[in-house]
Amino acid sequence: MKKATALWIAACMAAGLMTGTAAADETEKKNFVFGDTTFNAENEEANINPHEAYCGWACLRYGVGETLFKIQDDSTLAPWLAEGYELVDENTWKITMKEGVCFSNGKPCDAQAVKASLEHLIEVHDRARGDLKIASMEAEGNVLTIVTESTNPTLLNYLSEAYGCVIDMEEGITEDGMVVGTGPYVAVELVTDDHLNLVKNENYWADEVKVDEVTVRTISNGDTLALALQSGEIDAAYGMAYASYPLFENDAYTFTGIQTSRSFYCQMNFQSEIIQDDAVRKAIAMGIDKEGFVGVLLNGYGYVGKGAFPETFPFGGQNVDTQTYDPEGAMAVLEEAGWVDTDGDGIREKDGVELEIKWLTYPSRQELPLLAESAQASLKAIGINMIPNVTADHNSIWKDPTQWDVYAAANVNCGLGDPMNFFSTHCLDASTKNRGQYHNDRVEELAAEMYSTFDSDERAALTIEMQQELLDDNAFIFCSFLRMSMISKASVTGLTAHTCDFYELTSDLDIE
Amino acid sequence: MSEVTVRKQKVRKNHTKKRLIFFGLLALALLLVAVFAGRLVPYDPYEQNLSLSKLPPSREHLMGTDLYGRDMFSRVLIGAQTSILYTLVLVLIISVGGTVIGVLCGYFGGKADSIMMRISDICLAFPGLVFALAVAALLGGGMSNAVIALAVISWPKYSRVARSQTLAVKTEPYAAAARMAGGNAWQIITRHILPNILGPILVTAVLDIGTMMMELAGLSFLGLGALPPTAEWGNMMSTGRSMLQTHPWLVISPGIAIFITVVIFNLLGDAVRDYLDPRNSSR
Repeated sequence: MKKATALWIAACMAAGLMTGTAAADETEKKNFVFGDTTFNAENEEANINPHEAYCGWACLRYGVGETLFKIQDDSTLAPWLAEGYELVDENTWKITMKEGVCFSNGKPCDAQAVKASLEHLIEVHDRARGDLKIASMEAEGNVLTIVTESTNPTLLNYLSEAYGCVIDMEEGITEDGMVVGTGPYVAVELVTDDHLNLVKNENYWADEVKVDEVTVRTISNGDTLALALQSGEIDAAYGMAYASYPLFENDAYTFTGIQTSRSFYCQMNFQSEIIQDDAVRKAIAMGIDKEGFVGVLLNGYGYVGKGAFPETFPFGGQNVDTQTYDPEGAMAVLEEAGWVDTDGDGIREKDGVELEIKWLTYPSRQELPLLAESAQASLKAIGINMIPNVTADHNSIWKDPTQWDVYAAANVNCGLGDPMNFFSTHCLDASTKNRGQYHNDRVEELAAEMYSTFDSDERAALTIEMQQELLDDNAFIFCSFLRMSMISKASVTGLTAHTCDFYELTSDLDIE
Repeated sequence: MSEVTVRKQKVRKNHTKKRLIFFGLLALALLLVAVFAGRLVPYDPYEQNLSLSKLPPSREHLMGTDLYGRDMFSRVLIGAQTSILYTLVLVLIISVGGTVIGVLCGYFGGKADSIMMRISDICLAFPGLVFALAVAALLGGGMSNAVIALAVISWPKYSRVARSQTLAVKTEPYAAAARMAGGNAWQIITRHILPNILGPILVTAVLDIGTMMMELAGLSFLGLGALPPTAEWGNMMSTGRSMLQTHPWLVISPGIAIFITVVIFNLLGDAVRDYLDPRNSSR
């Protein structure tokens, strides 16, 4: 009887011990909650499938997928999943994969897997197909040979774009856009515009992942984001409203910030009769107070734009000339072109037509509505009636050229470390984002030259000349560049902002 | 005993009359401020000066300045024009429109009456602001669209009151006498029905001013009413809300303006109701 009792007690104690251990394990689990204003369908990031629209940004930012090469903060490339490359001839690239790289499901990520991923990408993704210009691929062991249709000096840069995340095509892409990548985190649940749940990748090839579970919450409202961080509901935030920054400028929080090439720019609609007037475009360029916008409205968290690229690049704004804020000069330009306020209502007219500008922009980048309201007042002061349309529906509206004259947007102009991406997407006849149908023969010529130039100095010189053409035409106005900041609780470490705006959640992430 | 009752009624009547005059004068003062706001503002409410951004209240700027360096006091004053005048237009539209529909339905009855009352049932079945949000989202931003959205959902209240009053009044002997004397429908409605049902409609309308002001401000706060840079109290609160913790005057100034205006119009509504209440009559 005594023996039985002793055994019973021992069993109970063992059970208690095991429960205790389990409870201790539970408490030791590290959970990280990240609030992001931009992870949503409006930004073409409805899921984490890198082969769809801009969803690769979420895949790469949140550590699900990784690319062959990585863009460093000095805008040069470093091998990542790849070990190195060899340029066999102008059109043939041999990329060697690192040994031991595997997907989060344990399958090896070899050249064959990369080939399958890239094949699917260029089959379904128009932008990637145009950028990469891949004619054929061959995989042999750890070596992937890519032959391009024509000379493509920026192939490696484009392979580092978010759409270049290597995913396991044997596992496929789920209906809701979930994929299996090689990154430190594995996606387990996704509700578009609400949240993405990630868990630690136990098979991560590069490092030990320190955080067990991550939740990325889509919080599109900047005020909600600030309150969530203040209340401790989230551990870190991306996209905080500038007005809320003072709340976190204390010891309880950490800022990580870096100058990026994300520009807030205006694109002119050359299909609009009023915009075809050189004087109007010049006056708009002279009528925007960039210094005030950055210094006051962005609380100084930004840099005044001059050219398409920040001054940190060898081909940056320091090399070009552009219009500066000069209301008097702008008025003189308009006056000379025949735009005069004849009826005394403060708005100029010419041949019975009022100088009215339809300004299209969107609210998900908090800087853009501020720019719109600031420009509205400064343009009115020179006699231009600017009518802002700040709408989440901008992507369908800009397709109708009668609905807008100026489109203000945000874009990472040199995220891939090479400037050609901006020109090829925004300024050429074939560009997908040449929304205003801008055309300049010289820019087309220079772009063609860029496509076959490998030398970085020569590329920089061509870039400067192309920028100057855009600025001389006043086809684009580059208002500012973003100082990208993430704010986290002081207990969070390893969360670092990068110039390319990628790689937010990495294996370095930890909570003390 | 009857003398004491009469005395009491007289005292109450005098008291309600004083209240009516007092709140009437306050409401009139608000209206005058709204009408002459353009002349009263110390600064241009729309002129941006980024070097004066987010200044706290001071002698130069009584309510401080906003993000764009615009004087908040001037914006609150000019905002009265937008907020109060649009509210009055809205209340006028719904009270006149609702009353006309209600009287016609009550007087003539028939299929049109059934159809209009079912439509009003549908409007009343939804929570007001939610329905207004849906209509405003469909129409797009702007104060005029916000007024249309609220008008579409708010008229049934008046048509219900007007219809029930008309049904009661049209069976009164004087209405029957007017009919027998050869009066047509237009004459009976304008001479006998409308004057007798105006009291409750007026009370509902005055009491509605505060509610409608809050709903208009609510739509603007949510971005479906006044559009930037229009100075409107709800819109001003919305743009300042991200700075509530750091620069509270951006929200408090328009908030106080809404509070004062709504309280004055609500108390005026109470005073009108008390004044028109038959129990206060000395007859």
